[in-house]
Amino acid sequence: MATKPKKVKITKAESPTIKIGDLVIEIGEIEEDTWAEPMGPTPKPSWVELREWDKKLLNRYEPFYSPTCDMCCLCSYGKCDLTKDKKGACGITQRAQQARLILLECVIGAACHGAHARHMLEHQIERLGADYRIDLGLNIETEAPIYRTIIGKKPQTLGDLLEGMEYAEREIQNLLSSVHTGQEGDHLDLESKALHAGMIDNLVKEIADLAQIVGYDFPKGDPDAPLAELGYGSVDKDKPLILFIGHNVAPGAEVITYAEAYGKADKVEIAGICCTAHDLQRRDKSAKIIGPLSEQIRFVRSGIADVIVVDEQCVRTDILEEAMKVRTPVIATNDKMGLGLPDRTDDDPEAIVEDLVSYRLPGVFIHKPEKVGEVAVKVAERIAAKRAEFKGKALPEEEELRNESARCVSCEKCQRACPVNLHISAALKEAAKGSFEKLASLRKLCVGCMRCESACPRDIKIVSLMEKAAEGETYSQSYKIRIGRGPILDTEIRNVGAPIVFGEIPGVVAFAGCTNFANGAIEVAEMAEEFLKRNFIVVTSGCAAMAIARYKDENGETLYERYPGIFDAGGLVNVGSCVANAHILGAAIKIPYIFARRSLRANFEEIADYILHRVGAVGVVWGAMSAKALSIGTGLNRWGIPVIMGPTGTKYRRLYLGRKDIPEKWEIYDAKTGEKLVTDPAPEHLAYVAESKEEAMVAIAKLVMRPNDTTKGRQIKLAHYIDLHRRYFGTMPEDLHLYVRSESDIPINAKEEILQILKEKGWKERKIPDPTMLPRMIMKKKGAGK
Amino acid sequence: MRATSWRLTMEAGPTKAKPVNGDFAARIIKQASRPALAIGARITEHEKLIDVVERLSNAGVAVIATAHAIRYTSERGIPAHKAGVVEATHLLTDPDWEGFDGKGKPDLLIVFAINLDLENQTFQTLKNFSDVKTLSIDRYFMVNATYSFPNLTEEAWLDYLEELCQKLGV
Repeated sequence: MATKPKKVKITKAESPTIKIGDLVIEIGEIEEDTWAEPMGPTPKPSWVELREWDKKLLNRYEPFYSPTCDMCCLCSYGKCDLTKDKKGACGITQRAQQARLILLECVIGAACHGAHARHMLEHQIERLGADYRIDLGLNIETEAPIYRTIIGKKPQTLGDLLEGMEYAEREIQNLLSSVHTGQEGDHLDLESKALHAGMIDNLVKEIADLAQIVGYDFPKGDPDAPLAELGYGSVDKDKPLILFIGHNVAPGAEVITYAEAYGKADKVEIAGICCTAHDLQRRDKSAKIIGPLSEQIRFVRSGIADVIVVDEQCVRTDILEEAMKVRTPVIATNDKMGLGLPDRTDDDPEAIVEDLVSYRLPGVFIHKPEKVGEVAVKVAERIAAKRAEFKGKALPEEEELRNESARCVSCEKCQRACPVNLHISAALKEAAKGSFEKLASLRKLCVGCMRCESACPRDIKIVSLMEKAAEGETYSQSYKIRIGRGPILDTEIRNVGAPIVFGEIPGVVAFAGCTNFANGAIEVAEMAEEFLKRNFIVVTSGCAAMAIARYKDENGETLYERYPGIFDAGGLVNVGSCVANAHILGAAIKIPYIFARRSLRANFEEIADYILHRVGAVGVVWGAMSAKALSIGTGLNRWGIPVIMGPTGTKYRRLYLGRKDIPEKWEIYDAKTGEKLVTDPAPEHLAYVAESKEEAMVAIAKLVMRPNDTTKGRQIKLAHYIDLHRRYFGTMPEDLHLYVRSESDIPINAKEEILQILKEKGWKERKIPDPTMLPRMIMKKKGAGK
Repeated sequence: MRATSWRLTMEAGPTKAKPVNGDFAARIIKQASRPALAIGARITEHEKLIDVVERLSNAGVAVIATAHAIRYTSERGIPAHKAGVVEATHLLTDPDWEGFDGKGKPDLLIVFAINLDLENQTFQTLKNFSDVKTLSIDRYFMVNATYSFPNLTEEAWLDYLEELCQKLGV
């Protein structure tokens, strides 16, 4: 714990030998180190200090580039055509340019989460004081595994977290500067910096979520966190409804606080879209989640919301324009997006309310969360009756749906603009004849980007028509989701540490990220169910957690109702919002700490090396869209966790792919003997794109294998891999010989068949190493070095 | 023949695909020393597509089944190598890679029935980081391939594919 800096000023002092005037003595932070763990090698590491680790990763997992643009337009020499062997005016190559853009996106992502964390932390310090203790309860002693590993300190108060923020902000600035023209030109160093940005992203997310957990008393790792409501049908449309969109719950939490304090809690409906919705439910389980970010304009156009409060990240930039069409006032609450609205932060709340209710203003900018609380509730209550003609009635009538559809000239510009290539014209043609099923079915595949409407030369409101066609189902459905529980308990890690490391729990699969799905959100739920049935630990967060909730079985139950919220085999763990997914990585870090007793303190490389070779975790970001999703995933990669993306992920321009056909890429040390040997290509890739959910499921089963798996563990993992491969590909895996180390690894039910395959491949038994890529981890034998 | 990218925003730069018909596509395939065909998850989009794969295989084109397409090639008894499309593309960027059969790297990659984003990005990778020529026989003009069918109706597309197979003698 650090004490605050001190300043001593001596205006005048005289002695027979010395004369002093205006002397100022400043004493910086005084460290009071109560953590018994010795300081590790890399406290608050700069990029340079972890560069060697990155080189090892990037040698095994080569960057694979896929440009979305062949040119660079970042300086006024350009545009420069970089196609193939051409260079830009600054000398940059296509490969370096792609890596540069990846770094830029990762820095944007890290800065976004960082600024969010800074805002949330300062808000909580303002509310509760810098000395407010971080206490996550008796079952969580390791309160901040990422912070401890990177910063080398154990934060005990909110104020302690400021040191982590300062470190992150310095690194982000440094990394961003590398992107400037005439700076870094080596693609591998640029990639290494992207990995550094990703790691910083992981750190600041943990800070943000810790601050809000302790500040708002969110669930602290509760495996039995209650179930709550999700879906359009979950809201009471007769009540005034305040809709929150974004990621920063500070204003939303203050709205709930105000409503509670003034007896309005059951008089207004609180609902959210995107990650703020998760955090509203963590604050108050009666809050409703409307859905993921793809629902924004669709729900706004329904007119159900009486007030829209936007905070930051993933909010549509045309939200004000859309809200005005249904006479819903907008309150912008965060300095990341003012929407051009007048700053009314210092004005009398009653005057602001009057301006909004009378529609003198379409919206206001109030950057003080407490004031948002009062204004939003009062506006919602007063304006609801005035908006009666819009509330839930703003979608087109059936006749309009037919007539508008009939205006379509089948130019197919909508389909050509659609990121998922939906056959919109054909559906409109049928709708014009009064058959709406086709159009309604497209809604499940639509990602809500609105590009079809922008492209339509006849200005047909395609998304509204689609919404009307699907109205019956969409507006009546509500679903159960388990409230974001936040961190994984230390006690849970004690239970699962050994079975995960030895491979007896086949793996941890984390579904996270956005809703840019190529084939609809249902695929996320289907994949999650497959691995729950197989006794994997399934973890989720953000929009993916909502996607999982939006599908029911034949009994009308969602996966959250059917599977427990424990971090154990067959558990479905919703950690919460995007920033809460820091706890998924946190769980992976706690395994070496709690189970293997490795030191966390400023010990990044050792912990990442451990996770890479021993912890069978894999992330699935099936609808990745944002820069944040890229930085989260890149951060996970640096810690040794592979990530699978859906087809749209290829547009991030870069993957990290292993080459199982080159044995020397898989050289490691056996930590016990120091022997250098070739191990299994596991995990085979670090950042991978699968084209179909079938391919993804087989890839998940393969990517959870680790060189350290025991024979029993490998047998279990191979059994899942073989079973899924047979089911979805119809064949036995062709690379089994690479993953069978001894006959004991072979699943019993297919032993004869596999032995035959191995014989044909010329397979030879090999040892199970104590794997590491770090020479310093080799255990020295007694007497060595004498 | 003129063509515009099916998705206009896929135009990546000044180097653009040459639009071709079935006859021209057949000539490109005949000229290649080691042509390979990559197919993907959209293989079930039309029942005739798997027939085209079989006929191209009979014409000596090696088949790479990406996503879960191997299921459909196996069912028809079409010999195919299974790989993720990004894995196969990655291998094709390696000048030292000797091909799935160890006999040499393909010099022409023919592509269809893969997710459009992935198809486009495959062409982008190979355009920028390899000497492999690419030919899209999908129904959309893929502007970043070396050669591509133009934008076609489904009916016209099947005609183009038929012409291609006939010109290859299969």
